[in-house]
Amino acid sequence: MGNVPGKIDSPQDPANRKQQRSESLNFGSQGPKNLNRNRRATSLVGNLLSASGRARSDSYNSANGYNGNSPNPYKKKSLKEKEKLKEKHARQLVVKYNETVDGGFLAPFGCYNFDKLDYEADIVKNLIIERRLAPFYTPLQEFDQTWTREEVIKIVDGLPLHCSFQQDPEEFEGVPTGDLADDEFDYLLDSTASKREQRRQRSKISKARLYFKRVGWQERANERYLELKLMNKKHTEAKNPALPSDDLKYTLYKNGAECPICFLYFPKPLNISRCCKQPICTECFVQIKRAAPHFPHEEVDPTQDQEPDELKDPNLLVSEPANCPYCATAEFGVTYEPRRDVRTGINGIYASEYKIAEYKDREGLVSDSSSNEDDELVTIEQIRRGSIAADDPSVITSDSIRPDWEINLTKERLRLARRSAKATAIHMSNQLIDPEHPSRHASISSSVGGPDGGNSPQRRQKTLEELDDEMLQQAIKLSLQDH
Amino acid sequence: MAALPKRIIKETERLVSDPVPGITAEPHEDNLRYFQVTIEGPQQSPYENGVFQLELFLPDDYPMEAPKVRFLTKIYHPNIDRLGRICLDVLKNNWSPALQIRTVLLSVQALLASPNPNDPLANDVAEEWIKHEDTAIAKAKEWTKLYAKPTQDEEPAKE
Repeated sequence: MGNVPGKIDSPQDPANRKQQRSESLNFGSQGPKNLNRNRRATSLVGNLLSASGRARSDSYNSANGYNGNSPNPYKKKSLKEKEKLKEKHARQLVVKYNETVDGGFLAPFGCYNFDKLDYEADIVKNLIIERRLAPFYTPLQEFDQTWTREEVIKIVDGLPLHCSFQQDPEEFEGVPTGDLADDEFDYLLDSTASKREQRRQRSKISKARLYFKRVGWQERANERYLELKLMNKKHTEAKNPALPSDDLKYTLYKNGAECPICFLYFPKPLNISRCCKQPICTECFVQIKRAAPHFPHEEVDPTQDQEPDELKDPNLLVSEPANCPYCATAEFGVTYEPRRDVRTGINGIYASEYKIAEYKDREGLVSDSSSNEDDELVTIEQIRRGSIAADDPSVITSDSIRPDWEINLTKERLRLARRSAKATAIHMSNQLIDPEHPSRHASISSSVGGPDGGNSPQRRQKTLEELDDEMLQQAIKLSLQDH
Repeated sequence: MAALPKRIIKETERLVSDPVPGITAEPHEDNLRYFQVTIEGPQQSPYENGVFQLELFLPDDYPMEAPKVRFLTKIYHPNIDRLGRICLDVLKNNWSPALQIRTVLLSVQALLASPNPNDPLANDVAEEWIKHEDTAIAKAKEWTKLYAKPTQDEEPAKE
């Protein structure tokens, strides 16, 4: 759709709508004698666009059962609202020393880019607290089976809460960020620039600000963690209850496994795929999601012409549930069986109070007999036999931590439908206004005309009516598609 | 990300310590995400006895995103276009983070053994493959002889 550059936003967006209006007016600025015709064209285009907008919000409100009480997810959010939501999400991804479950955390260590952490943080945190998903353990780059207890504890003690951030990433070079404590940053925008340019600047600046804010939050959390660890070392009497005991560090990290996707070493047990029982760490699990909405890939006959994607029906857009990375079974999901001998942090005992000895008799765990511990863990992993259905209550699917996939798919379909509607509308108004437009010529010469040809007023009137009908049909078609 | 992820380091080490027969992949000194690759044409295929140069790049989001692989050696194949781009499911929709550099290159090698003209990237080649398979195979053999010569030096064939 090369004829509508950059016009993919919703017509509900005020800035965009203004632009549309001015474009429509441009069509109309051809001369006073065209006034009547132009007004028709302008109003038709406007009507078509607003009609599709109305039809869309109405139909989706009813189709998806959104009533007045719950916020409509299709409502266009303002830039400020979006920025607020992003900031809230980023805050939830800060790893905190005192939010732990069984020696792991509620937010990821940072193996993957922040942009890719688009899961519902609340849902994942709750699943971890309920022990239905493994906590985000801090990974080790390597593990050596010959390490002694002291070595393991020393290495775990040295782990930060979050991996180091890239200092001054290239992406944000030269982007002003202003005072991060001040929510207002409009003064950083170039007020002489166009509205569009200002929007672009705003999005760049807010992205950079969020990055540096996030680094600040995490670094402060890290510093606090370090201070407490140092204090713990000095004052063995008054230990901070949230920091793990040496027994806990050792028990967890002595029994670990490599995640087959990031190749990092985590305490066992890991999450297990519901279909083929392969391990996966939580940090990799939250990365796996449905593909973005796309048209189905078809095998085609190379000797035939193909329909370009732009002309395809937006309702054909699909987004399949994520497949298992290991065995490609559809609807990827995992289960998690927590260790029965470790229950610390939220809904458990203080991490500082965990002692191996307490469980020694009951579980047969002895600190220096790693073989026993291994055996015990193996049995935990083998409790589950065979695969489990995706809708089993114990299974956490990729969709369940990104429940907005359906809304996103619908949004994308609407975006495409709107785009083609706009293209049609603009194409139509070109026909009306530009007497040299090829399609206009075609429609005029093809109609039976008198000696005057296409220049008689009646003839013009006829063409306009035809086009009017055509546009009306388009509008009807669109609103039907919305339903 | 500034530091190279452990996964890439370990994969690279394992490619060296446990190489795949008929395939080599070496990281570039300046960019450890960029690999120079050679693949031997499979036996009993039109590409037999050819050694093909490829480049492989691991994007920032690897392994959540597939590696980018491209033929540098000219090749006559319905799923590989003039720019060396490859139409292969595991490089696109069917990529899985459990796959690796090693498995992807094996898939590329398998694609040489079984071209799929019904899912073409080079439309002219695919059309020829469907209409006159013999001529197409003869041409693939001819191009293999012409361009996919085994070379001693490591420099990839540049256009």
